[in-house]
Amino acid sequence: MENTSNDIRQINEKIHQASSFVDLLNMEINKVIVGQKYMVERLMIGLLAQGHVLLEGVPGLAKTLSIKSLSSAIDARFSRIQFTPDLLPADVVGTMIYNQQRNEFMVRKGPIFANFILADEINRAPAKVQSALLEAMQEKQVTIGDTTFKLEEPFLVLATQNPIEQEGTYTLPEAQVDRFMLKVVIGYPTKEEERHIIRQNLAPEGQAKISPVVRPEEILAARKLVRQVYMDEKIEQYILDVVFATRNPEDYKLAKLKPLIAYGGSPRASINLALASKAYAFMKRRGYVIPEDVRSVCFDVMRHRVGLTYEAEAENVTSENILSEILNAVEVP
Amino acid sequence: MKFIKNIFATVLLCCLCGGAFAQEQEQEQYQDYFKVTAKADTTRIRIGEPVKVNLTAKVMLYALKGANIKVIFPNIPDSANHIEIVERSQLDTTGTDENQKIWRQAVTFTSFDSGRWELPPMKFEVYSVTDGSYDSVFTDPIFIDVSTVAVDTTKAFKPIKPLRVVKFNWLDYWFYFLGGFLLITLIVLYFTMWRNRKKAPKPIAVVPAKPPFELALEALAKLEKEQPWQTDVKGYYTELTGVLRTYFEQQFNIPALEQTTAELMNDIKPVTILNQQRNEIYSILSLADLAKFAKLQPTPQEHEDTLRKAVAVVEWTRASAMPKTELPVNGTNQ
Repeated sequence: MENTSNDIRQINEKIHQASSFVDLLNMEINKVIVGQKYMVERLMIGLLAQGHVLLEGVPGLAKTLSIKSLSSAIDARFSRIQFTPDLLPADVVGTMIYNQQRNEFMVRKGPIFANFILADEINRAPAKVQSALLEAMQEKQVTIGDTTFKLEEPFLVLATQNPIEQEGTYTLPEAQVDRFMLKVVIGYPTKEEERHIIRQNLAPEGQAKISPVVRPEEILAARKLVRQVYMDEKIEQYILDVVFATRNPEDYKLAKLKPLIAYGGSPRASINLALASKAYAFMKRRGYVIPEDVRSVCFDVMRHRVGLTYEAEAENVTSENILSEILNAVEVP
Repeated sequence: MKFIKNIFATVLLCCLCGGAFAQEQEQEQYQDYFKVTAKADTTRIRIGEPVKVNLTAKVMLYALKGANIKVIFPNIPDSANHIEIVERSQLDTTGTDENQKIWRQAVTFTSFDSGRWELPPMKFEVYSVTDGSYDSVFTDPIFIDVSTVAVDTTKAFKPIKPLRVVKFNWLDYWFYFLGGFLLITLIVLYFTMWRNRKKAPKPIAVVPAKPPFELALEALAKLEKEQPWQTDVKGYYTELTGVLRTYFEQQFNIPALEQTTAELMNDIKPVTILNQQRNEIYSILSLADLAKFAKLQPTPQEHEDTLRKAVAVVEWTRASAMPKTELPVNGTNQ
């Protein structure tokens, strides 16, 4: 059904009202998180667009604190799984245990049965554990024994990777990395932010407490609204152009990128780019997507979906460099 | 008669003697058909010095009567009786003709023990392939006197001489210098080529036949004349912003066609003449964005206002588009 300008105006008004919780959420999280606005914004995009987030950053950048604060502010359950080489799939999803008194097997649910999961250092666990988690992320359900359990919504997985220590790790295969909607690379806070962090952590009254300001139902309602955000066909075309330029750069006068790209974005990349753009527009309290929204989320949606060749790696070309070239070459509608 | 008898007896005796002598000579010749020699170039050496012994085997072919023969040289062990073999040459058959066959081999010996050592007689064998007959001949033994270095024991012991430093000579290392120079040249060449390869080819600026502002004004005039907003509002705003962005790109080298409104507004900041019109530009682009992406239907008055603003922006910035030669240059008119 085609949207009319009146429909869009109505959506715009609805979104203007419904997205007010974003500011509340931000204010609450900012009580304990200093800086890292970019990461928090990306977490919200993942939350609103039903996508999971892969975070890459060195330890100590408040990754755990951010997601913990987010879950506290939403009044949702949070669990953290530290991935280690000896972790088993049952440690993540749960298992059947024998009850001697009742003389029967009982289900013991794993830590994945929560609203917000922090999968810390996901690349430290072997492939079978990674795939158990990623399957649960994709299907949003878990089977233990003969019983299948639906995972409670909202369900958001935030996985972290340490970009420095690669020894003894199990790199996530491309097919599994593709399941993350966003891959966010976070950096150190500024000097001023870090000064603030020190003061906040050493304050005699301790750290501020986060109070629930949003209910999970509001998030679920917001998710529905995000999908209603209007996306013009020109924006769709722009998204397609960006994704296709990663596959066939020569069609966009970027033949020089051809030997640097091993594989381009998948159709899942297009879907996620569109969804994340809508979520970003929602957060900016708009009922329609503009090219700025696409460009704002493009790096986080695409950076793990563009495979580099050996030649690119030898020349120190990153997927961000390639995406920058593409964004500078594809005409904005 | 008696005299005749004596003559006859004498002649007969001579014949008999001659025949016997000839037979004996022939027999001698047959016995000497296979000769071998072993000659040393010296028989006195100091410890470790070489002694070259030339072994020669000669077979007279007339004695063989066409038989096919093989000569077997002595099998000398590598080391025996304080004497060691240093080198053996290949068999050499130069000097062979229709009368004789000659084989030569040079064997170099040495010894590391002082004394008089005997190189024992060496056995050469000749074997007839035709009739299977076999013969052997020995060489004479060779005695080699091996002496040590003479030491004057009456004099005191002298210490080991210190290391003698060889004077540095550039010419001794010319090969390394040449190699190093070539290597450095290759590295420099490689990096020069690599840098050139990495440099993106400079885009060739397409100079339009007309100045950009003229093209922009023409396109805007066309829009005003055709009034596409009557039928396709979205198309009109797309066209309008396209004209402006192309103008900015051609006139101010801002990649406006690949930029969003926010990016473009940011990029016009350093261009003073454009920045003076930033409010106008922003209002045009933001209204166009709403019309393009949010299905906004501006009023007919807004359509015309937007077009008028676009013309005003181009007119305002026209001064920067004038060729430099037309601009007054300080000092030239004085």
